[in-house]
Amino acid sequence: MAELKRYRYLFEQMVRRELRQKYQGSALGVAWYIVNPLVLTGAYYFMFGVVFTQTKHADYPLFLMVGLVVWIFFSQALMSAAPSLLDQGALIRKAPFPRETIPAAVVTVQMVTFLVVLGLVAVVTLVFRGSFSVWLVLLPVVLAALYVFVLGLSLAVAVLHAHFRDVAPILSAALLPWFFVSPIFFAPGDITDKATAKFVMEWVNPVAPFIEAIRRVVYDGHAPSVAGLAYVVLIAAAALAIGRTLFGRLQSELAVIV
Amino acid sequence: MSAAKTLQPGEIVLDHASRAFSIRADRGGTLKELLLRRRSDGPAPIQALADVTLHIPPGQTVGIVGRNGAGKSSTLKVLAGIVPLDSGSVDIGGRIVSLLELGAGFGRDFSGRENILLGGALHGLSKAQIEEKLDDIIAFSELGDFIDVPVKTYSSGMYVRLGFAIAAHLDADVLLIDEVLAVGDEAFQRKCEARIAGQVEKGATLVLVSHDAALIERTCERVVVLDGGHVVFDGPSAEGMEYYHRQMNTPTPASIAEAGGP
Repeated sequence: MAELKRYRYLFEQMVRRELRQKYQGSALGVAWYIVNPLVLTGAYYFMFGVVFTQTKHADYPLFLMVGLVVWIFFSQALMSAAPSLLDQGALIRKAPFPRETIPAAVVTVQMVTFLVVLGLVAVVTLVFRGSFSVWLVLLPVVLAALYVFVLGLSLAVAVLHAHFRDVAPILSAALLPWFFVSPIFFAPGDITDKATAKFVMEWVNPVAPFIEAIRRVVYDGHAPSVAGLAYVVLIAAAALAIGRTLFGRLQSELAVIV
Repeated sequence: MSAAKTLQPGEIVLDHASRAFSIRADRGGTLKELLLRRRSDGPAPIQALADVTLHIPPGQTVGIVGRNGAGKSSTLKVLAGIVPLDSGSVDIGGRIVSLLELGAGFGRDFSGRENILLGGALHGLSKAQIEEKLDDIIAFSELGDFIDVPVKTYSSGMYVRLGFAIAAHLDADVLLIDEVLAVGDEAFQRKCEARIAGQVEKGATLVLVSHDAALIERTCERVVVLDGGHVVFDGPSAEGMEYYHRQMNTPTPASIAEAGGP
């Protein structure tokens, strides 16, 4: 931990670098990160709000959008963390700084983007739906847990991919079906006749409670469930513990293999 | 290891250090290989360090010489903490600064100035610590206005100058340098040598890998000759270089085998 503190400036620089590289050289820059969820929202609204009109969620585009931006953060962070150690091989071969800095910086960059986009979506949702409530104070807690959760998974994915180059393709193959079973265009509560499916989608998928909690606060203006809150905090701690352990075990040969 | 705590800044202790590298075209594995346990295919691993024991007291200047593939660069990477040992131990006191891979680690789209900040940060310096040295580093590098130009436009000489300027200003207790000085022009080489001498005078330890016999004799008091990962000579530099030259004039075991000799 003291080591990590000593290298705070390195972390800061990596984040700033990455942010700059991301937003340089594209005309729309940050706007792309709004356009992406907007386009997806449009498509899902068309399919599930217009063509198959089964949804009972009011202001369906806003319902969709809140879930989508959380998912996009989750998937983008993992997908960009996976090759991060290989991309920064030159730095790894140069000095023995804590290697966690690299995936952590990647996740932080995605988090910054996510917070900006979520902020916009939240403001529109709160104003449009009048869902402003005192429970917004819990939003930072859920977001912090989400960051820790994704950081833990990213550490694992990054160090595994450095050793086994098929981790990124496996991940990208898994993310697509994962997206469809995540409560993005539906809420687990919509499933009324299949108890097992409902349970799986609500609790076995670790992303679901995050989406649910954020949507409860931002879209419904209600308190997140106590079970949901406990879940996100615990799963975040578990993901970080697993990620750090795996990273610690597999990092020593990084300068040789990347 | 408790020994690490009692080391003085600049002290280096290698204790029965061994390290082998497997040679593979693609360095990462795949899950398939892991599952099928086929990683042992290909050429046998190369023993880069074989039971090396060295004690370097603070402030000593040590040259490491040997044939290509003798384990010189691996030794530096182990000392730099970049590559772990298979067995044995390495302990170093104080801040280690290494100039190993020329230009590597330099963000090519970033300016020389930004690379100075990154170089310092990679070695664990804070923003304030690096900014304090920024002007000295820029002046030393002699890059002038190029300091604000992306380093991808630099010549190899400019690369080295920037790399060396950074490494030489990070207040190292141990300075590890791998055969990179030769790239600069003569005037800059002289300046580097003077800078190194200054650092050594202040108590820094220098470990230098080079094929430049004259450079080793000028800068190093002690020479370690490596062969096949083993220390085959360790002593004063004049004798060490003599040993090395003799070794260079004798055929290698491999070339004897190639010639079909007994």
